[in-house]
Amino acid sequence: MIELTDVQRRMLRTVLGLGAEGASRALSRWLGMDVRLTLGEVEQVDLEAAAGALGPPESLVAACAMGLTGGLGGSMLLCFEDRAGLALADLLLRQPVGTSAEWGEVERSAAMETANIVGCAYLNALAAHLPAGADSGLAPTPPTFLHEFAGSLIEFAVMGQAAELDRVLLAGTTFEAAGAGDLGWTLLFVPDAPSLAALAAALDGSA
Amino acid sequence: MPNDPAAPVVPVAIGRWAVAAAPAQLRTLLGSCVGVALHDRAAKVGGLAHVVLPDSRGDVAHPGKYADTAIPALIADIERAIRGKAAGRLVAKLAGGASMFQTGPDPPSRNIGRMNQEAVEAILAALRIPILGRDLGGEGGRNMILDPATGRVWIRSPGGDGREI
Repeated sequence: MIELTDVQRRMLRTVLGLGAEGASRALSRWLGMDVRLTLGEVEQVDLEAAAGALGPPESLVAACAMGLTGGLGGSMLLCFEDRAGLALADLLLRQPVGTSAEWGEVERSAAMETANIVGCAYLNALAAHLPAGADSGLAPTPPTFLHEFAGSLIEFAVMGQAAELDRVLLAGTTFEAAGAGDLGWTLLFVPDAPSLAALAAALDGSA
Repeated sequence: MPNDPAAPVVPVAIGRWAVAAAPAQLRTLLGSCVGVALHDRAAKVGGLAHVVLPDSRGDVAHPGKYADTAIPALIADIERAIRGKAAGRLVAKLAGGASMFQTGPDPPSRNIGRMNQEAVEAILAALRIPILGRDLGGEGGRNMILDPATGRVWIRSPGGDGREI
């Protein structure tokens, strides 16, 4: 049973915050506008509470899912409410927000490319600040686009922890753009159980 | 889809189970987990378990999470509801067990859906509970609804039409 201590949680939050900063810079360059990723609480919750991490479990969300390879295992999910995700496609295609009405090939491609950029930047920044061992070769797998029930997505993403733990950790990050406020996008970082244990041990060792 | 959309709905959270009698309906949302619907036609009582993992390996603190502890717990609650033994009275329908995306080069979640499915089917076979319908595997989530009045089970996929199993 891996239950992070307060100190470990604070240290993990600091490291993940650095990941979010790296992703903010990359995403701002990619979109040509100032975007800031803000890390939410880093805490372990029971499965039932985790199921609501993206809003009502029955709501449909678009998501780009990436696995973690290298020093850590688990997954990252860049999730959008439909309207907010399609607005991203409009931003990238330099067309008025509201032009894209459904998830066609171009819109999906825009979302996946964005997920790839955010995921790589987040993990690069994370790796640069992780103790040796957990940082080696950390990279995301190519994203998979999904249009899914929010609860089903979360259920699958936390399975790598739920197999061994009763309480799961998912670190949520929200996105804000200058002048536009909350963009309605969420990035979830969900390490699997062995990786969470490795992170906890590594953070202890670096204290 | 369900005959009576106004019927009270009992949601079943991940790793939990619930029992209801007509006219209430039971509902759960599935990814790689397996939904186990059990129905007593004579009593018009049904139960639904949202199984997360196949084997409790001795964990007694979270019986709803595992196939080998959730199904006996569900049957015990059905027996309380019908005030009698459920042996020979129950039938089952199953849904879920999807594999939605790759979470790494060799993730433990890769085969969880299949393992859940196999564990549930083996336990039901050992209990001599016939499985009348299945909607298992694939790559997408499912919304599963059980109507205890009839034993009918409806499945809805994201963005798709509903279907009955």
